[in-house]
Amino acid sequence: MLSLPSISLLQFKNYTNRSFDFKERIIGICGNNGAGKTNLLDAVHYLCFTKSYFSRLDGNNVQQGKSGFRLEGHFLLQDKPEKTICILRETGKKEFSVNDQPYDKFSQHIGRYPCVVIAPDDAVLITGGSEERRKFFDSLLSQLDADYLQHLIVYTKVLQQRNSLLKSFAETTVKDFSLLEVLDEQLIKPGEYIFNKRKEFFVSFLPQAKHLYSEIAMQPEDVTLLYESQLLQSSFAELLKATRQKDCYAQRTTAGIHRDDIEISLGNQLFRNIASQGQRKSLLFALKLAEMEVLRKEKGFPPLLLLDDVFEKLDESRINNLLQKVCVENEGQVFITDTNEERLKQHLDALSVQYQLIGL
Amino acid sequence: MQFSSSLLENAVSEFAKLPGIGKKTALRLVLHLLKQDTGDVSNFSEVIARMRSEIKFCQRCYNVADADICSICANSMRKQEIICVVESIRDVIAIESTQQFNGTYHVLGGVISPLDGIGPDQLNIESLVNRIQKETTAELIFALNPTIQGDTTIYYIQKKLSPGSGGQLPQLRITTIARGIAFGGELEYADEMTLARSLQNRLPVESYVASK
Repeated sequence: MLSLPSISLLQFKNYTNRSFDFKERIIGICGNNGAGKTNLLDAVHYLCFTKSYFSRLDGNNVQQGKSGFRLEGHFLLQDKPEKTICILRETGKKEFSVNDQPYDKFSQHIGRYPCVVIAPDDAVLITGGSEERRKFFDSLLSQLDADYLQHLIVYTKVLQQRNSLLKSFAETTVKDFSLLEVLDEQLIKPGEYIFNKRKEFFVSFLPQAKHLYSEIAMQPEDVTLLYESQLLQSSFAELLKATRQKDCYAQRTTAGIHRDDIEISLGNQLFRNIASQGQRKSLLFALKLAEMEVLRKEKGFPPLLLLDDVFEKLDESRINNLLQKVCVENEGQVFITDTNEERLKQHLDALSVQYQLIGL
Repeated sequence: MQFSSSLLENAVSEFAKLPGIGKKTALRLVLHLLKQDTGDVSNFSEVIARMRSEIKFCQRCYNVADADICSICANSMRKQEIICVVESIRDVIAIESTQQFNGTYHVLGGVISPLDGIGPDQLNIESLVNRIQKETTAELIFALNPTIQGDTTIYYIQKKLSPGSGGQLPQLRITTIARGIAFGGELEYADEMTLARSLQNRLPVESYVASK
């Protein structure tokens, strides 16, 4: 099991110096806009992933007018206490340690405390371009399989080389196709590996997400999730051969796993074009809860769940279904923020589980 | 930095152009030279100027040389039918100091990386292919860095030598240097990819003991 009994924040976002004790498994966090609900969740995310969920720059998380911040979390991992500290020094240097043992590479920490976040901006996963969805699945698959990440890095590097070669073709009349063939071969091996891993993963993941969606929506909506890849039709080698002319013309690689997508449709139309805000949100939850399930199976215990402002634009029954899933059917620790204390209280009371309410 | 002499300033800024030399180190070096005899300093600058203007690159392997052919290529004691392909002159020096290699070299002058604007034409690849076809080369050893660009370069040259494009000599053997755990290294500190590769390409104990 994994839980976070207490956390303290120093000069982090709007917190000058504050500690919180989390005594229950379900933590409700209420407050008005700007009170610091999301910042508190982000502090937890920092301790799990060594970085912010919302902003790329560490410096953006320092309290205005101050320099540097410190986060200290007391975790319980398989009943053993772990003191995890993240410090951003005045110089901009970040330090991260568990039980006073500092990490050389922050990437070594990732995966120790599995954690799933659901925030309003995550809707781009449904509405945005295919890149958002690939990013989501790549980060999930990389957590499960370090080899996947290695192959992805190699693929991306070779792809860059190939694209610049195609660009240079446009500037000269002599085209060195044998070099292109060499790069094709270097691209095929990691490309096929990633394709096979994704295909294998989606066989169980996509039906699960669909099932979770129908449970949250409580009605048989005709949603289909489909793995779309050019590699499903023919082998990568044949694809690259077939698109060579087109690639030279476009000056970039037009076929490959960097064009994969998950096509989501409602009935026979694209989901993102016709779905309502509530339906989009429900599907987002379904994907995130499926992610949580994958991590739970992998780690043997449920991940921490951070729900930021998730109730907006959801009808009452969907809220209830969602809370039933994350608070009752899930055994891990859950943090939920809401602006409306009454609403949160009402819903949590209805579940008849122990919970703690923190007002900011 | 403020200087009372523009001569000093010029010298410092020239030194600071060297790799690994910053402004402060450059100043230290220049002030050191200022303390030396004028004769010593002019000898110093003359040696550098002569090195640059008179040095030659071997017409056969592109290593540095004093004549048209470098001392390694000219040495009849070395096995001329074995060619070790390296990226730069520094790699020649590194392999030479092992005193384990008794063949010849071919310096490519870089590796293929379209992203950096380096294609096969900028490197000494065509001359290598010509050289192999002209000489009776028995073995080609690739000693390139284990990077994606290094691999690209190896595959490219191999393709150029394959029977389809120009005709590979039937007796030509193509190899690469081994990759794996470093000597005196500790397993737990080896990165996972290296360790995994060492396991895949493990050695029979007989040949391991023999190579020691």
